[in-house]
Amino acid sequence: MFQFISVPELTKTLIASFVGVLTLIGIMTRPFRWNEAIIAMGGAGLLLLLGLISPADAFSTLCRDWNTFLFFLGMMGLSALAEAAGLFDWLAVQAARFARQRAWLLFLNVFLLGTLISMILSNDATALILTPVVYVLVTKLRLPVLPFLFACTFIADTASFLLPVSNPINIIILSRFPLDLLTFLRLLLLPSLIVIAINVGVFFLLYRRELQGQFKPERLPPVNETIKHRAYFRYTYLVLVGVAIAYVLASAARFPLSLVAVGGAFLLLIGALGWKQTTLWETGKRISWSIFGFIAGMSIVVRSIEDTGLTTKFGHWLLDLSGGGTFGAVIVGTAGAAIGTNLINNIPMAVVMTSALGSMQHAPVAVQHGFIAATMFGCALGPNLTTVGSLATVLWLLILRRQGIDVSGLDYFKVGVIVTPIMLLAGALTIWLLL
Amino acid sequence: MRVLCCLDGTNVEPISRATTLLSPEALTLGLIYVIDKGPHHEIEHARERHFRPPVPAPAREHEMVEVEQGSAQEIIEEGLRHLSGAETLQREGRPEREIVNAAAEWQADLIIICPRAEYRDKHKIGPKSVGHVARFVLDHAPCPVFLVRPMNRDQFPIKR
Repeated sequence: MFQFISVPELTKTLIASFVGVLTLIGIMTRPFRWNEAIIAMGGAGLLLLLGLISPADAFSTLCRDWNTFLFFLGMMGLSALAEAAGLFDWLAVQAARFARQRAWLLFLNVFLLGTLISMILSNDATALILTPVVYVLVTKLRLPVLPFLFACTFIADTASFLLPVSNPINIIILSRFPLDLLTFLRLLLLPSLIVIAINVGVFFLLYRRELQGQFKPERLPPVNETIKHRAYFRYTYLVLVGVAIAYVLASAARFPLSLVAVGGAFLLLIGALGWKQTTLWETGKRISWSIFGFIAGMSIVVRSIEDTGLTTKFGHWLLDLSGGGTFGAVIVGTAGAAIGTNLINNIPMAVVMTSALGSMQHAPVAVQHGFIAATMFGCALGPNLTTVGSLATVLWLLILRRQGIDVSGLDYFKVGVIVTPIMLLAGALTIWLLL
Repeated sequence: MRVLCCLDGTNVEPISRATTLLSPEALTLGLIYVIDKGPHHEIEHARERHFRPPVPAPAREHEMVEVEQGSAQEIIEEGLRHLSGAETLQREGRPEREIVNAAAEWQADLIIICPRAEYRDKHKIGPKSVGHVARFVLDHAPCPVFLVRPMNRDQFPIKR
């Protein structure tokens, strides 16, 4: 519309910012329980309609993010097809067998399993697939359920920066600001191990009472029951080992990780179809297609805000706030990303921060690296602060409680409030020391 | 006298022992077990946070419900082995609320409950030993509540 009418630049900036903020508020509050993808696509559509971003620019933005889109597709495909093989159930039963009937040892094994799955198949696989599997297992074993569920949901995020593929957020950020594998590991491996240790330690302290019991071995489901088709299971196992190795090699060679993920998922799909363990329709149903609309919408909205120079100003403001030093970069990057993820969730925050980081090219490399690592770290761990979803949800729960309605969600929030700030601080300081 | 016994999967023995303290004349026992739906909501929150539909895939959801029902059935049957002839009530939702509502509907004269599910062999006295379910029931029950604490004489005397 504004392409045909002459409108001052300031007005365009204000309208674009207004639409952007409206979209982010929509994602925060989700009016009428609308899907985030509809809200993000709606914002993008409005900007296109108003001529605040041209179709060519919108298209080029989406093309620029091909690695992110493909990675999401590959990651979801790998997890869904591994689940179809019964791999997660098998791993959970093995974790229980190695626990030798002790609840605390099973708890530790769940943490280790969550770490392994997050590292290779990303935090989504742990949070979305391992969590219900562990729920079923501990219900069968008659162990306290909540500590184990929290272990899964927390470790999904805590172990999500061991490798670049451990969290799609990493891919969003690294697609714009590539770090070689050694730099990634140098900056994030040790902080990751430290926060995992803190996570495990604090949880053992919090749930020490519940974890002192034992479970009866006869309640444990037979391992063979978890394997749906022996040949496909073995094939899945081998493909995933290959994918894990390929991820590391591709990261080192700066080969697009999305192609490894999609390639691995394709191999699993061939096997699953060959052994008749799934159909294309069934696999398609396990993929969350709306997430692509959400990322596409968010990318276009942020791109149009970027064109107004606002995200550049935000980036400069962050840089000023950091004082231009590495310590400030890590603290500001971590705090900014962590707070932002709780306000607008982690994918939108990663997209906003990625845009803002683009304005720091003139800063020293160590400061840039500090911001990049801190953004990945803050976006990954931040969501644990308000485990019920976002700050908006927590505020809503607090209002309900004030009205005399008892809300169990607040119990979850308490755990996040205790453990997350400790992990954020310890991890940020370690990143700073490693810069 | 109508007595509602709250089972949690770990307390059938102390509950059944407690019933022996009551006069057996005109005693009607009820066994209640509530499938806690809190973990389900937690899983839904986790899914929504990752931009997925709240309910897991149908097969997984079915498995979760099946295991919950199976476990509940097993706990109730275990209760019946100790307290044969008792009426059974199985509910799902938030345990504390379901218990007080069931007690009102069933017209219980007394609720027997343990302070919390005990997974340890060794019980410890001390603060916060009454869990949120028992505390809610004590606060909101429509009838007297018999709180069955484990024997802890060996931990006495406590510091004066």
